[in-house]
This record gives sequence, C-alpha cells and structure tokens, in this order.
Amino acid sequence: MSGRAAGQPRVAVVGVGQSRQAKRRETSIAGLVRESVAGALDDAGLTFRDVDAIVLSKTPDLFDGVMQPELYLADAMGARNLPVTRVFTGGSVGGHAAIYAAHLVQAGLAERVLVVAYSKESEGNFTWALSRPLPFHVSLGAGAGGHFSPVIREYIHRSGAPEHIGWQVAVNHRLNATRNPLAHVQMPDITVEKVRDSPMLWDPVRFLESCPTSDGSAAIVVTGEAEAERISAATGRPPAWVHGMSWRTETGHFAGRDEVNPRAGAECAADAFAQAGITRPADELDAAELYIPFSWYEPIWLENIGLAEAGAGWRMVDSGATAFGGDLPVNPSGGVLSGNPTGATGLVRFAEAAQQVRGLAGEHQVAGARRTVGHAMGGASQFHALWVVGVEKP
Amino acid sequence: MSRALVAADLPEPVATIAAPFRVDYTYVAGVGRSTYLRGMAEGRFLARECPGCGQVYFPAPEQCARCLTGLLPPSEIPGTGTVSTFCIVNLPFPGQLFTPPYVVGHLNLDGTGNRLMHRIMEVEPADVTVGMAVEPVWAPRAEWEPSLASVRYFRPTDPALRAPLPAEVVPAEAAPGGADA
Amino acid sequence: MREVGVVAFAQSDCLAANRRDDMADILAPVIAAAVAEAGVDRGEIDFHCSGSHDFHEGRTFAYIESLDAVGAWPPISESHVEMDAAWAVNEAWSWLQLGEGDIALVYGIGRGSLARDADQVSHTMLDPYYLSPLRPHRHALAGLQAQALLAAGAIGEADLAATVARSLADAEANPHAQRSGRYDVFDLLTAPYVASPLREHDVAPLGDAAAVLVLATGDRARELAERPAWIRAMDHRMDTHYPGSRDLTRLETVELAAGRASAMAGFAASEVDVAELHTEYSHAEPLLADALGLGRDVVLNPSGGPLAGNPTTATGLIRIGEAAARIRSGEADRALAHATSGPALQHNMVSLLEGDG
Repeated sequence: MSGRAAGQPRVAVVGVGQSRQAKRRETSIAGLVRESVAGALDDAGLTFRDVDAIVLSKTPDLFDGVMQPELYLADAMGARNLPVTRVFTGGSVGGHAAIYAAHLVQAGLAERVLVVAYSKESEGNFTWALSRPLPFHVSLGAGAGGHFSPVIREYIHRSGAPEHIGWQVAVNHRLNATRNPLAHVQMPDITVEKVRDSPMLWDPVRFLESCPTSDGSAAIVVTGEAEAERISAATGRPPAWVHGMSWRTETGHFAGRDEVNPRAGAECAADAFAQAGITRPADELDAAELYIPFSWYEPIWLENIGLAEAGAGWRMVDSGATAFGGDLPVNPSGGVLSGNPTGATGLVRFAEAAQQVRGLAGEHQVAGARRTVGHAMGGASQFHALWVVGVEKP
Repeated sequence: MSRALVAADLPEPVATIAAPFRVDYTYVAGVGRSTYLRGMAEGRFLARECPGCGQVYFPAPEQCARCLTGLLPPSEIPGTGTVSTFCIVNLPFPGQLFTPPYVVGHLNLDGTGNRLMHRIMEVEPADVTVGMAVEPVWAPRAEWEPSLASVRYFRPTDPALRAPLPAEVVPAEAAPGGADA
Repeated sequence: MREVGVVAFAQSDCLAANRRDDMADILAPVIAAAVAEAGVDRGEIDFHCSGSHDFHEGRTFAYIESLDAVGAWPPISESHVEMDAAWAVNEAWSWLQLGEGDIALVYGIGRGSLARDADQVSHTMLDPYYLSPLRPHRHALAGLQAQALLAAGAIGEADLAATVARSLADAEANPHAQRSGRYDVFDLLTAPYVASPLREHDVAPLGDAAAVLVLATGDRARELAERPAWIRAMDHRMDTHYPGSRDLTRLETVELAAGRASAMAGFAASEVDVAELHTEYSHAEPLLADALGLGRDVVLNPSGGPLAGNPTTATGLIRIGEAAARIRSGEADRALAHATSGPALQHNMVSLLEGDG
C-alpha cells in the first residue's frame, strides 16, 4: 500500500462542524458561518488562537450579493491576523478548498487549517443570479436543470438504463436523509411511486429527482500527522487520514467534448485512487459521498470515477449496492438531493466522507467504514475534486 | 425615575432588512464572437475552423479552446443539424418566455463539432428524438439582430414530424433584443 | 522550503476601457507571451492558478471563460481564487512546495471598466447588514484613512501630491501604464477633492488588463531563466472588517506579514532595493512604507504602481511581476511586492524576492 502521494507528509481531518441545512432566515450570514466554525473547533478541541490559516469556499457572490465575503466574515471566522484565501471553482469549490488546506499543511506553511464553506441563498435572489441571461447568449428559458437534463438523457440513451433508476436513487438518498438530522429535505414516506408521480420539471428529470436550494455552512480542521495524533488523544475522537486527493479541470465548450463522462473527472479519481493504492475502487471503498444534484448523476459519477464499469453504473443502483446497507452506500448523509447549500455542498461531501471513517456519522454511520471517498464537481461538469479518507494511517 | 427596561418594553426584533442594489454593466463581445453575431444580423451562420485540430466551431471563439490556435476566417454553413440530446422544460418559473412544455436541445450543426443549445419547436415534445434532423427558423428579416435570437428556433427537417406552433410563442420572441439585453 | 522563482512575466496594456476584447481575448496573447518567454511547452505546465471576480465581470462563474485562453485540454490541475491574483500566486507557490510539479502558470484578469459606476460595486464588499446599507462613496473609507493619517501628522497633502507626481513620471517608462506624465506638485494641489484629503489623481484609475507569471522550481527555473527572481517568502494577514474597530493609521497586518516573511526569507523587508506596493490610493504609500520599515534608499513603485493603472484583480499580481522584473534585469538584488484586498487595506500580502548573488 503506497498511501498518499509519494513522499508527502500525512494529513488528516480532526474536526468537523456543520449547520442544519434549511432556509435559515433567523440568522445572519456571519451567524450561520459561526455555527460551523465553532462546531469544527469544538470537535478538534481547539480555539481560534490555534488556527494558522483559513480557506473559504463559496459559490458566486452574486447569489447573495456580498462581494469577497472573506472580508466581511473575517470576524465571524476568527480570521483576524490570519492568512485567508477564498477559492472558487464552481460547485467543486468545497473540495478544492479542502485540498488546498491539505496542501498548506503538506507544504509546511500551516499546522492547523480551518476550511469554511457556506451559502445563504435565501439572503439574495438565487433564481435571478442564475437565470439572468448571459450576454450574447439567447435566453432559452431552460433554467438550472435545463443544463443537466440533456446530459442525463444522453446517459440514458447510451446506457439503455430503465427509467426507474432515477426514481430509486431519489428514494435511497431521501431515506438516508431521515438518518441525518442536519439534512434539509425530510421525506420518511418517500417511495418509487411518489418520485415517479412527482411533476416532470426538465424531462427526463422529475421534481423529486432534483436538489433543493438550502442555506447552510460547514467547516473542517485539517492538520498534519503529529498534530492529528495529539488532538485525537486529547479529544478521544479519531482523525480521518487523507489517503489520496486530486483535482482536475477541463474546458467546457470545445468541439468534441464528452460531458456525460468527462475526462477530467475520470483522471481526477484515477490520480487520487493511485495515491491511495486503490486498484479496485468499488471493492476497496466502503461508502461514497458524491456530488449528485439530480438523481441520474449517481450512475453517471459511479462510472466516471471508476466505481462501476462504463454503462454499468445503473446496474449497481438496481442491485441495491448503493443503498444504505448495500455494499457501497452512496450519500449516506442524504447527499445533495437532501440538502444543497451550494458553496458548502462540496465540502459537506468531503466532511461526510471523513465522519464515516471517524465513526462519527451518527445514525447514518455505515457500519465498519474503513475507507471512503468524498467527491465534488462544478461548472458544466468541468471542475472535479476528490479525496479518499481512511481509518488507518496511509 | 425610570425603571429598568424589560423585554416587553422592547420593539419586535428586526428579523430582516431589505438592501437591494443595482449594477449596470457593459458587456464586450470580443473579436471572435462578433464574427458570429454579425452573421446572425445578416441571416447567416458563420462558422470557423481550427487549423490545428480541424474542429469547426459555431458559435466560434477567436481561438480553439482545446489547442489554442487562432481560428481560420469564417465560412458559411447551412445551419441544419441533428439533435444530440434534449430536455423538455415542464417547469413554470417567473419570466419564462413560453408556456411549458417546450424542448431545449443540444444540436450538432452539420459541419461543426461543438454543441449549440437552442429551442426545438413546431413539434410535439414527445416526438423529439436523439438524432432527429433539424433546420433553423429565422425571425422575420426586420427583426434580425446581432444575437442568436435572430434564429427563432429549430424545427424538424421532416415536415411529417411538424406540429403547429403554440400561439403565444410568436409575440414573446418577436420583441427585439428583449430577453437577451 | 523549495526554491521557487519567477521565470517569466507578461502583461497587457492597462486600458481605461477595452471594448474590443472579451476575457479570453485579453488573456490569450498575454499567456502566449509569458509561455514563450519562459520557453516552455504548454504540456510542461504542471499547475494553473488564477484570480478574478464576478462582480467586476457582471455575471456568475465569469472565470470559466478565461479557461478558453488556457486550453484546459487534456484536463489540467487547476485552481482559482475569487480575489486579486496575487493570492493565486500564493496558492501556486504553496503548490510548488509540494514537489509534485516544477512549473506553474498564474494569471490575473481584471476589468474595472465593465461596471458603469464603481460606486454600485464597492459597497457590496462591506458588511451587508451594518455597512453596505450606508452606501458609502467608493472613496469614503480611503478618505477616512487618509484624513486620520493627516490628523496624526504622519503625512501632509503635499506628500500625497509628491507621491502621485513621482509615480506618474516613473510610469512614462512603463509601456503598459494607463496614466503617466510630468506633473507639478503645486498644480496637483489645486485639483478638487473627491474624498478629502484625496483628489482624483490620488486614486488609482480603474482599468482593464491581464497579467501572467510563470513560476518554476530550483534547477528547472535556472534552466528557463538566466536570473530567476526567487520568491523567498510570502505571507498574508487579514484584519478585522470593521473600520471603526481598527487604528486606520497603523497596518498591523502588514507588520505581521512582513515579519513572518522576513523570518522565512532570511532578510528583512527593509533590506530590499525595490518595493512594488499595491497603492489603490496615494496615502497608502507612506503608510505601507512605514509599516514595512522601508527607508529612503528603497525605490518605491518604479513601474508607476497602481496610481498609473489599476486593473482590479490583476493589480496585486502585477506588483509581484514588476518586482520580479527588477531582479531579473539585474537592477535589484532584493525586492518586495505588496498586495492588498478589501476596504482601507484590510487584507495584506507581502512577498520577498531575491536574485542569485
């Protein structure tokens, strides 16, 4: 087992904080962020004084109207006199932020990095920010799902998957959410029939196969090996060791691009799995937290990142392998379909993967999870970030 | 003498404040995009080929996004193509131009390699298929503008597949520059 | 620390308003020039990082368009900061410390001309509940700071005018400058105020430009450049957001960043030959020089600095590029580059660069 990229110092997640995901009009942006920051520091047994650097993850500032929010949030994040970097790579940003934090530790530039992520779209006009026509583009009136839906249709066309696969994924994730008290969407009585009978929004995508828009925040603390051992001895809570991590980007619009199976996603996963010494991902991983905003993206990403053979991702769903209690539960937290604070959505995937191997996932803990994967993507499936975390030191 | 304030003396807490703001922007089309936009105003599809990889773009940027080579001068393509994938928009939302359901497709225009997104109309949504041949329907000449809105929509090339256009579509789309300003 | 050096730097002309080129078109020739100067093949670049901001561009995910100038195919290892691209240099410099690659390309694109009125944008950077609704004029907080410096006796109005006159005269030798020329200090002092004690010429003029750095490590840098400008240290520090909670006449975050950078570099900020400072207003120059301990022998903003052109999110990156250029040309052995973000210099970065002896 090689574990992690050759020669790199070990890094681990030692603290996780998350807010409840919902429409949160009772708190300010700073208050929402502070909830997760305080939670992550408490989990790690640290105070603001212990943090060396902060990385902030956030989706477009036009969503809630605050430009460069790292400035306004400096006080809420405890950032005074600290280095703060605000990364932005579309929806994958939370994953990029976590990886950048790990890089800062590995580079010897920080010992304890706080990664903060949030979105408070109820604060602004999200639909306006997303649906404003781009200059020089004809307004097609397609809406957010109008981008992903044709890609889904192409996947179905290529794979020959039956239509109930999308319904089943929606049921799996919503049932998972009933075991996660922080999840926005709580539908304990969901069934395949209810998904099938829900309104068609962007054919072939139905209402219950789509993600919500949520307010929410998340924060994690990333440290090096010695610090992780010290903290875990002090708190009695184990670290999640990073076994492999990677990011990849590809241009969105060039002639001949495959958006159903983007090469950047495949190469990103292959790189992280190679670092982790993983050769049979589906067998060697115990759970996956994937960025699935519409139910059909479960089979699409399973294939893209190598958890299933090309064209066979839907069979994995159909077999029940990805449901809670299956061989490879996908999104035991309920996933993006059950809560979507866009700026934090990617970091929540990375954090939930960590909580599983720390054994701290509560009611949605996957029994015996030893190694898990956290995944985030953004843009027109152009930006990809992924990490593998585990119980054992890599 | 004043007594100490108690909670009942205080006004209702402020739960939210409205702070709308407005920013006016000038957008710059750029040299490459201007070529295609001018073509639109003239009722022509102007595509450009990459001398590096041979791919043909419509709409074309100034350089190939995959090999960074400057594209060749524009040449006209017919604008016909095939549906590579599509979705049927069933969701009503504010500011919508058409009454759902309507079809938005990824189109492969003949002779090009990148995808163009546009509406597919004059067809029952249920009759649209991947691979279906389509042709452009231009707005009346007086309404041509430097925008893809000069092409009102695409429709099946095969007349047998066509269905009448919903009535409400025509006036909404005919507003010059409306949706795209 | 791994040695990381600047081996190429290119920038476009800073224009008050570029109405010809889109984001990718502004950037493409600058990337091509930097890559050509470094003499590397695109495929040899191990990491890309950039800085820009949607509020300057007027649309969400604006930076995606810039990737068309990068040619992210086959897929690349890439990141982006929604800040000044100096922070992208910092991320790339951190990435190169990992030893997973040897060459990084960093670009910044900034367009100050697209928003019709900077006042519509500037207040959105403030606390949305307490400060933004006050709609302070875009120069108001800078004016407060300059006035506080005046009241403290740290500077006089003639010092501000002298800084402007020197910067714009130096900018005559900078072909990319948006503004340059010979001005008499006494004439400048007759100009009207925009936010007392600041006059229009005290304000860095917003413009459109792109700038690109190529960084390389150790021996690879020595192969690619005759005299790489080694980035010996970078550090940046954030202050509280609330101007009322700060002593605006002191820049503790600059002192802190400079102190930490000095410890890393092995020489003090005051020991440099040249400093390129991110002065969005003329009063920032004496304030920064004081916080950094720069003596009279240190050449400040020989390019003319931001007072000669301020392409928003590219401005801080250009400071690093200009500082590196002085080292690469042999004019300086050690240089400092400063970048700032936020109102009244809330967030500050200090980079220390050095040439081989």
